[in-house]
Amino acid sequence: MLKADKSLGIIFFPAFDWAISPTHPEREERLLYTQDQLREEGIFDIEGIDEYKPSVASVEDVERVHFCFPDVPSVATRSHMVSAGGAIRAAELVMSGEKERAFAMVRPPGHHAMKVVHGSRGFCNINIEAVMLEHIRARHGRKRVAIVDTDCHHGDGTQDVYWHDPDTLFISMHQDGRTLYPGSGFPEELGGPWARGRNLNIPLPPGTSDEGFLAVMERVVMPILEDFGADLVINSAGQDNHFSDPITNMNLSAQGYARMNEMLAPDIAVLEGGYAIQGALPYVNLGLCLAMSGMDYSGVREPDFTPDSVHQEKRITEYIDRLCDVMPELYFNPPAFDGSEKAREGVISAGWFVRHKDIYYDVDNISEAQTEMVRECPDCRGTVRVETRSTNNPLCLGVEVPADACDACRDEGYRILEEAQLKGGFRYIQFINRRDDEVVRHGF
Amino acid sequence: MLLGIDVGGTHTDAVALEERGGCMETAASCKVPTDHDDLLGSVTAALREVLRDVDPARAVALNLSTTLSTNAIVEGKVEDVGVLVSAGPGIDPHLFMPCRHFYALDGYVDHRGNEVRALRGGQVREAVEACRKDGVRVFAAVGKFSTRHPRHERVMRNALCAVDGDEPCEAADFVTMGHELGGTLNFPRRVATAYYNCAVWRVFNEFAEAVKRSLDDLGLGHVRVNVLKADGGTMPLAESRRMPVQSIFSGPAASVMGIVALCDIVHDSVILDIGGTTTDIAVFADGAPLVEREGIDIGSLPTLVRALKVRSIGMGGDSAISVLADEVRVGPNRLGPSACHGGERPTLTDALNWVGESEVGDVEASRHALRDYAASHTMPAEVLAGRAVEYASRTIHRETRALVDEINAKPVYTIHELLEGKQVVPRKIYLMGGPAESMRGPLFERFKLSVEVPSDYAVANAIGAALTRTTWDLELFADTERNVMFIPSLSYRENIPSNYGLEQARRDAVNQLSMHLDAMGVKLDKDEAQITHASSFNMVKGFDMVGRNIRVRCQVRPGVTHRMGRV
Ligand SMILES: [Zn+2]
Ligand SMILES: [Zn+2]
Repeated sequence: MLKADKSLGIIFFPAFDWAISPTHPEREERLLYTQDQLREEGIFDIEGIDEYKPSVASVEDVERVHFCFPDVPSVATRSHMVSAGGAIRAAELVMSGEKERAFAMVRPPGHHAMKVVHGSRGFCNINIEAVMLEHIRARHGRKRVAIVDTDCHHGDGTQDVYWHDPDTLFISMHQDGRTLYPGSGFPEELGGPWARGRNLNIPLPPGTSDEGFLAVMERVVMPILEDFGADLVINSAGQDNHFSDPITNMNLSAQGYARMNEMLAPDIAVLEGGYAIQGALPYVNLGLCLAMSGMDYSGVREPDFTPDSVHQEKRITEYIDRLCDVMPELYFNPPAFDGSEKAREGVISAGWFVRHKDIYYDVDNISEAQTEMVRECPDCRGTVRVETRSTNNPLCLGVEVPADACDACRDEGYRILEEAQLKGGFRYIQFINRRDDEVVRHGF
Repeated sequence: MLLGIDVGGTHTDAVALEERGGCMETAASCKVPTDHDDLLGSVTAALREVLRDVDPARAVALNLSTTLSTNAIVEGKVEDVGVLVSAGPGIDPHLFMPCRHFYALDGYVDHRGNEVRALRGGQVREAVEACRKDGVRVFAAVGKFSTRHPRHERVMRNALCAVDGDEPCEAADFVTMGHELGGTLNFPRRVATAYYNCAVWRVFNEFAEAVKRSLDDLGLGHVRVNVLKADGGTMPLAESRRMPVQSIFSGPAASVMGIVALCDIVHDSVILDIGGTTTDIAVFADGAPLVEREGIDIGSLPTLVRALKVRSIGMGGDSAISVLADEVRVGPNRLGPSACHGGERPTLTDALNWVGESEVGDVEASRHALRDYAASHTMPAEVLAGRAVEYASRTIHRETRALVDEINAKPVYTIHELLEGKQVVPRKIYLMGGPAESMRGPLFERFKLSVEVPSDYAVANAIGAALTRTTWDLELFADTERNVMFIPSLSYRENIPSNYGLEQARRDAVNQLSMHLDAMGVKLDKDEAQITHASSFNMVKGFDMVGRNIRVRCQVRPGVTHRMGRV
């Protein structure tokens, strides 16, 4: 009987009864053929590889990460809670040592969900990686974590959630935002003033294939990971870079995905996008499962695979080559934060970092305007204050006291909360004190 | 009158059951020792004895549970099989080759049943020639995703054997095609199952032939013969000759079905069959036995053979008592018979004799052996006996809990199943086997659940065999984009219109199931056909729906044809 080199827990939650709409790419059928392929290959009969039931994330799990308006149940369906719960289950398997690695093959995905949530963006409502990660941190303490997002779309939600967190290294490789949703994810987006270089975006030109991705892995991602020295490496394993994906323009193959995953050797992988549900997902997921369990994946091939399907033009190779030369610098020597008035990244004013954001929720057609403020503090990460209004909700407030908050920042958090309650003007207020694990909701 | 025979490891049990007032009663029963070198002799001897008191002419059916196929596999008394596979991309099929004559051919069918790459005729012929040269006469032809499209298996079969159906063929005596084994997806298991089916085919068929002749000799030529399967059902003898692998591990199924016949199980329950060397644990949900999700393992290979979920632990009446440091243990070894039956080392049965729960064999011998063994470990004998019984009940309790937890942790695929998913919470324990009566008290202490020991438990296996109904299951797979409906286990393929839907698929599945049973001579009560899975997925290209992918699984639930009357 076959035995895995690395024990692997697979959480499979295909949400066979949930879809955005009957013909939407994010629909019931999405993981059907992946399930067929894994079963037919006999993956779960391999010693060391086991399938587990997902947990269900609690409202508290979500509120540790997001300000949801008007509240968590209004923005996250039960399917979202199970999907996030699947990621949590994966993390628990690894943290408890029951499995060396875990892969949460769940849907719906989450990496476009930002800190504040009014609805669904890019098929995402809550950020399942972030919900998982903060669950880990709440249980197992402060951890240095690297999230490498290999989805074809920029992981703008995860970027936003961890923008100010120096303990979380977020690297997103994606199709250049000038050519694909959500239109963000450029190298100059490097993280907040106190977490510079902890957010790295590697935009790749349409047509990038295995060769280009592997070059970036080898020359950019791996040296940075080595330096960062994460306690935990997470792969946001989106699969829409595949050459057959209908909504993107990249040329990665199942072999390329498996090889990337093998190099990365993540402790936990969480499925994100991927909409070539017949011709790619079954093979990419099989490749990832084999790579994660340290098994031979060389026999995994897509039916329509030809050398042509992953051909990379010379000019793309040259472009990526130049990118690989300059990208590491952004991590090792990030340019200082430009807090001047004209900077789009925000300003520092009266001891607070302040930035304004306009966010569009494409799935739900919601527009949001928000002002995010972070207290400038030499002793901790600083209390966060977010004012937000959207076409769905009147003015709302979110306040977060970080886990490592100093007394001054904690007191400031409570002062903001009290003032907001007294003065009114906010329809809903969500307050989370990560230091003492206290949550206050107001206005419901 | 119904006859039941269970060929067990130690004894072959036989019963003759007569119907009286709607309930079955035992008209005759017997136990004869099993001769492993002559199973047919054991069957015949048991039949002769049981027929001494009843009229053979009144018998209408004989259900037989035999260890023949299992033993042949365990003891390696199987013949060489030629295994031809088409695997396509994925895990290297050589990693799970079951035997020497294994040929992985180039060819590829995908998960929707599209042939991506055809088999190469020359390569197939070469493989067949190589097998023939070595005198191989039985063959397994298995393709990955053949349950979605069996073309490659057909091509292989045609290359092996030019004739149709059961006509004798010069080149091959028997061919198993993977898709005939059922619709379950699992290529390595399909390979292993097809391999075993071929490996035991000859020995099983010779046995079946011999049984037929014996029945004629005993005046039972008119009797319908069924063979027990591991899933708690039977199959007609003719069917079993084509699918002998289905007869493996039917022993535990016979005992579980025995309990079903003897007791009225309605709740979530636990069945414990405490034998000489092992205790078999089975779990019922809402009165129905649970089956293994995919199939049972034979030897070191997992297969697609459906089986009741039964966990065997090394704890039985003959399990030896040992003392390690200060801890008293029982099992998992059997070091000879119990002291009360002439053995030397005290066993669980001896301990039960001491504590007064039972009076089996020579009770004084039990006391003697316990006293000696206790003395050698400077421990009072009553402490040794008490702790041994406690250890046994604790172990059974712990293993039962673990099994139930494992069942409750099984993965689910929809929100509905997850949030409203049923948890199995046992409310009752049913006990059978030699030490059943004497373990009733200790187990009640552990489980704090009502414990029932049915009468007749000594021949419950044979009763179970006699009353087990014929079961069958099939999976229907429809793809309205390709306009095809396929039932792998029947090799049944039909063109369907684009508007074919889930309701129609359900009806077709039930109809095909009853037609197939009808052809096997089994009348199906429509209520007995149960849809265990039904799903329909929209298939989308771009943003347009192009068809539906429909899957339906349908089965005759394992159960008994009659209940035993209350005694
Ligand atoms: Zn994506
Ligand atoms: Zn502070």
